[in-house]
Amino acid sequence: MLAPTVVIGLGNPLMTDEGVGIAVVARLHQCADLPADVEVIDLGTGGLNVLHEIKGRSKVVFVDCAYMNASPATLRRFTPDEVQSAKLQTRLSLHEGDLLQTLELARQLDELPSEIVIYGIEPESVTFGDHLTDTLERRLDEYVETIRQEIR
Amino acid sequence: MSRTVDINVKHVTRVEGHGNIVVRATDGVIEKNEWQVPEAPRYFEAMVVNRHYEDIQTIVSRICGICSVTHSLAAIKAVEDALDVQISQQTDKLRILTHYGEQIESHSLHVGYLVAPDLLGQKSVVPLATSHPEVVKTVIALHKVGNTMMEKLAGRKTHPVRLVPGGFAMLPKAADLRELKTMLEAIIPEAKKLGEVVRSLAGALPDFSRDTEYVALVDGESYPFYHGRIGSTDIDEPVPVHDFEQVANEYVVAQSTAKWARWNRDAYCVGALARFNVNGDYLLPLAQETAKMFGLERGCANPFMNNVAQVVEIVHVIERSLQIIDELLTTGIEYERPDVKAKAGNGAGAVEAPRGILFHRYEFDDKGICTRANICIPTNQNHANIQKDFEAFVPQIIDREQDEVRLLMEMLVRSYDPCISCSTHFLNVEFV
Repeated sequence: MLAPTVVIGLGNPLMTDEGVGIAVVARLHQCADLPADVEVIDLGTGGLNVLHEIKGRSKVVFVDCAYMNASPATLRRFTPDEVQSAKLQTRLSLHEGDLLQTLELARQLDELPSEIVIYGIEPESVTFGDHLTDTLERRLDEYVETIRQEIR
Repeated sequence: MSRTVDINVKHVTRVEGHGNIVVRATDGVIEKNEWQVPEAPRYFEAMVVNRHYEDIQTIVSRICGICSVTHSLAAIKAVEDALDVQISQQTDKLRILTHYGEQIESHSLHVGYLVAPDLLGQKSVVPLATSHPEVVKTVIALHKVGNTMMEKLAGRKTHPVRLVPGGFAMLPKAADLRELKTMLEAIIPEAKKLGEVVRSLAGALPDFSRDTEYVALVDGESYPFYHGRIGSTDIDEPVPVHDFEQVANEYVVAQSTAKWARWNRDAYCVGALARFNVNGDYLLPLAQETAKMFGLERGCANPFMNNVAQVVEIVHVIERSLQIIDELLTTGIEYERPDVKAKAGNGAGAVEAPRGILFHRYEFDDKGICTRANICIPTNQNHANIQKDFEAFVPQIIDREQDEVRLLMEMLVRSYDPCISCSTHFLNVEFV
């Protein structure tokens, strides 16, 4: 039975703060008291798999590293309708992913859940490295608690 | 008045640099014609040094969200080579099956999301979902099958968790295999449908050929993605994987930070078309039939036909997956535990990523700690070949309108299914 709500962490733990979404869902996986009707998934950089994970759900919560023109470590809650992508894409590679575009595709296919929430976390640094920066690491508990409140 | 062509397609990412197409010409005289690419994997090599052999495949699986099984398997094979680990036939078959899931996923996404919009005159897959919903639904159905194979066998859709040196951390059940069998049988018509769609549009693929060297794994008895030595259309005697640096002779060029590679000529090609050109005689019947439907024959030197070879491979791996599942169901899944012991050693592994042959090499000390790593990705091996294609193709099309030249060059790069900026997927948003 598919859980009606899913929390999806996106990003790459080998690219410092780009992996913050993965760090948040890793901590959520350790929480023993998550609601039974919520599934928590580490989707890594398999961005197009989002299509399969959101189909048939009623609510999706994304946690992802996001450049939002905010100060590092800022957590911001928004919906896809509140933003537009500033990402330059050439379509030269299958690997160029954009969550907003994937969600738009799901909308075209009429497979979009009724409620979509994105938690963007502004990175301090996105470079090669297998740890978050201290600036984000210090705020991890707070991010996890915010997501817990969202899915309560 | 002079007629100028000035193309500069910048693939900008914040971290990994660029993958640019740069062409400048005046009155048909080409002044600049370059494929410029960034380096990425070298930085990941540093991240596995000082790590235990048990951690390597998990770390490298994060290098790429599309080729994560391939990276894991190449690493595991290299670790097993270094530590003299023997694996069971069951492990072998289950790994191959998992890897086929990735081929189905990656090829269907590439053909459906990047190539089909070009052929159907759309800017991306998003408008395609409205103009040709049946095509997009077919692609998504195939993608889902690939995903489910990886999830049932490797424990997760992206970035596998059960593939470990020596075997599997957790084995699938017979019921999982039966479920996969049902799913794969049901997807054959969808694969045929994708083939029909691509065939109906194949006339839009540019008629351009350039003779080059094609390199792929060979075992002399099948169409391998996971086993074999390194074969080429230029040589008769394949090279052992342990000597892969003799094949991928890396060198530095001024126009790119990524290293390029050459073997018997100034460039070589890896990927679906290379595998087809090297091993096409070993395709299974339905895949042979699919290749015939397109008129695809060994010796094809049109890089755009790589897209067609991918469709042929989707059919082949579905056929082979069904055979392997039947073999596993007949013998039954036997409980076994990976048996690996640390020791000093140096090992290499080669696996065919959807976009071409991938090499990993590791060195370990006697405690099993990695002291050196070398990862040679297929996209880097293709860069020189893409440049040579540019040099042959652009003079043939330079008299066309600039937008058409640009589109044709983008299509050429896309046909190689390159792995660029695969390691980051962050959002970049403006509030409206």
